[in-house]
Amino acid sequence: MNRREALKSLSALIATGAVAASARASEMQGYPSNLAVADEFLPRPAMDGGKMHVLTDETALKTVTAVFDRLIPADDLGPSASEAGCIVFLDSQLADRFGQGAQLYREGPKLPGADELTQAPQFIATPRERYETGLKALEAYAQQTDGAAFADLQPDRQDEILQGMEEGSISLADDINTKAFFELMLQNVREGYFSDPIYGGNKDMVGWKLIGFPGARYDYRLYADRVGQKLDLESISLIPLD
Amino acid sequence: MANYKKISTRILVLGAVVIVAVGFWASRSSNTERNAVADDNVALADFRSTDIEAIQRGEYVMRTADCAACHTQGKNNMAGGYPLATPFGTLVSSNITPDRDTGIGQMTERDFFNAVRNGQGSKGFLYPAMPYTAYANLTDQDMHDLWAYMSTVTPVNHAIDENSAMAFPYNIRLAMLGWNMLFFDNKAFDGDADGADRGRYLVDAGGHCSVCHSPRNALGAEKSDHYLQGGQLGSWYAPDITSNPHVGIGDVSVEDLAEYLGTGTNGQATAAGPMAEAVEHSLQYMSEDDLMAIASYLKSVPASKTKAHTALDASLPSMKRGALAYEVNCAACHGVEGEGMGELAPALAGNHALQGEPNNAIRALMVGARAAATHTKLTGAGMPSFAWKMNDQQIKDVLDYVRNSWGNAAQPVTPEQIERIRVGMQARDKMIDGY
Ligand code: HEC
Ligand code: HEC
Ligand code: HEC
Repeated sequence: MNRREALKSLSALIATGAVAASARASEMQGYPSNLAVADEFLPRPAMDGGKMHVLTDETALKTVTAVFDRLIPADDLGPSASEAGCIVFLDSQLADRFGQGAQLYREGPKLPGADELTQAPQFIATPRERYETGLKALEAYAQQTDGAAFADLQPDRQDEILQGMEEGSISLADDINTKAFFELMLQNVREGYFSDPIYGGNKDMVGWKLIGFPGARYDYRLYADRVGQKLDLESISLIPLD
Repeated sequence: MANYKKISTRILVLGAVVIVAVGFWASRSSNTERNAVADDNVALADFRSTDIEAIQRGEYVMRTADCAACHTQGKNNMAGGYPLATPFGTLVSSNITPDRDTGIGQMTERDFFNAVRNGQGSKGFLYPAMPYTAYANLTDQDMHDLWAYMSTVTPVNHAIDENSAMAFPYNIRLAMLGWNMLFFDNKAFDGDADGADRGRYLVDAGGHCSVCHSPRNALGAEKSDHYLQGGQLGSWYAPDITSNPHVGIGDVSVEDLAEYLGTGTNGQATAAGPMAEAVEHSLQYMSEDDLMAIASYLKSVPASKTKAHTALDASLPSMKRGALAYEVNCAACHGVEGEGMGELAPALAGNHALQGEPNNAIRALMVGARAAATHTKLTGAGMPSFAWKMNDQQIKDVLDYVRNSWGNAAQPVTPEQIERIRVGMQARDKMIDGY
């Protein structure tokens, strides 16, 4: 480097005031100075593109779509569950920690009668496995009773089967807790319809707009005293578009 | 402390100026005659002051001059080794404990004066990363007291090779002679350091505030005609602290200013980054009187010429987007009307630094910010990073909004300013496009 270059590079550095990330203090007064949210605490948005990661079997995908769209059908209040992205939501959840049952206790021993005793059934199988066996069994049930795919049945007939599952009058198979499987699907379709759109469902915040939920706002003190009034607050996603 | 690294970068490059100055040997800049008041016989390693009062005063001088911040790395007080990154390699601070072999144990009091006030150390000319340019103002009395204090520091054997990691020609100490000739104002303080001019003395001598708060010319020397009008420090910006009422401290009361300096926040402004370090290591140890003296002096510093802007029109679509983003993300801490939460989160309404250079505000949004934690205000308030949920445009919208609401008025932030900090700070990108 000759003198001219040296001076030029120096003055360039000074003029722009080079920004150096490496010179950050790692710790001040015993707590971290880095206030970027740690990766493990950041939300895990749905993998985009609508490509299925878990629900790859075509029949299973059709069956669960049919179920979801009977649980939340399209009507004048809003789109159906699948139109609102609930299948994308479900697939993404099953592909991640929820699907792995990461927060569930899944060790044995599981004693006969334990479910009745605890009133909430315990599952050794992961939610992902329960969907796999459950959807297969539901399809087999439809083929057996109606000679057709569940997805191809008339809506009324679909409702009838679902109701039977809910009430416990239908058992899909010996090793499947049919009622609990129904409840799992009901829980997940609701979650998909009303959770933040970054997770794949609640597309365009249709669920939130439907019930007037203002979304991921940090602070409600602003409106806390407007009791009984229609707030008409715009719904906001955790990661807004603009 | 780490932020001194960036400052030194600016100063250090000036070593290059040597070339300009070769040939001029005799110079006022290297004259050390006035240090004849100091003893030149007894080495520090052989001296231990017994004058308790002088030692205590010396410790106070050490605090006001923040020596420990730069000269301590890890546990060993004053044993040096604190690295200051520069574009030409790393400069490491000296061991200034009284250790005979690796510290300054062999220095006499006069040698010490020469090093601290004139930048002439045991190995030759010092790099101006050691702020002797400011310490030249330290009075004889303060230097004597500091010397007494230094004699009480525990000797630590810790060998330091300050400039070994610096590339040629920047490792040539003689280069600093040239720099000094051009930029070092080798003069004693010209006022009443313990009386009427106490504030100016603390600011210009020990406090070395202008090292950060004055802008620099193309060669990296402080622009004396822009004294305290704001300077870039790597990823930080040390704001205008002249009496300018818009972007400076002209509008802030002496009491509020003193509170900020002594505790890190006055509810309006909160000290982060290098300023938090100055507060934690140095300013919080100062007496109430000295803080008030500094504050009064700052308010007497002629205002910079920066004019007030006209606020952006609140009905602009971008201002409306910013308003919503503020309500949703920020109002919980900074208040619905930008009034802040006392010591927990600074007010943005009427926040002067916020209306000047947007650098620190962008930085706060990108990587968050942590306020000083002091003996009186124990919890350094934190501002979370928003890089994961806002893209550059969204950051611009919300910053334009806070800089132009509640009576604030400032220039719109440019995408280049935001991009520079996102890239430079290695802040993450927004996670997904959003919904
Ligand atoms: C901004 C950081 C910084 C601050 C503040 C600072 N120093 Fe230094 N000091 C340095 C660096 C870096 C060096 C090494 C410079 C060199 O080798 O050229 C140094 C060198 C010295 C030396 C020369 C040592 C020798 O062997 O030649 C002495 C003495 C010294 N400092 C004393 C002090 C005292 C006393 C204070 C407070 C009044 C102080 N320093 C504040 C960074 C700092
Ligand atoms: C190491 C560099 C550095 C030194 C030395 C330093 N400052 Fe600062 N100062 C800063 C930075 C950076 C900020 C901005 C902090 C922020 O955004 O929270 C700041 C902010 C301030 C503010 C707040 C301005 C406002 O309007 O919010 C005041 C007042 C101030 N400094 C005064 C001083 C005084 C007085 C001294 C000397 C005793 C001093 N500073 C020394 C870097 C420094
Ligand atoms: C959890 C509380 C919290 C939230 C939420 C928050 N801030 Fe902050 N903010 C702080 C604190 C505390 C500081 C002071 C940090 C410091 O000075 O180190 C701060 C500092 C700032 C600063 C720098 C002010 C200055 O004087 O340099 C700006 C600008 C800012 N915040 C803007 C925002 C914006 C815009 C949002 C919303 C997108 C926001 N903040 C959300 C707590 C918060």
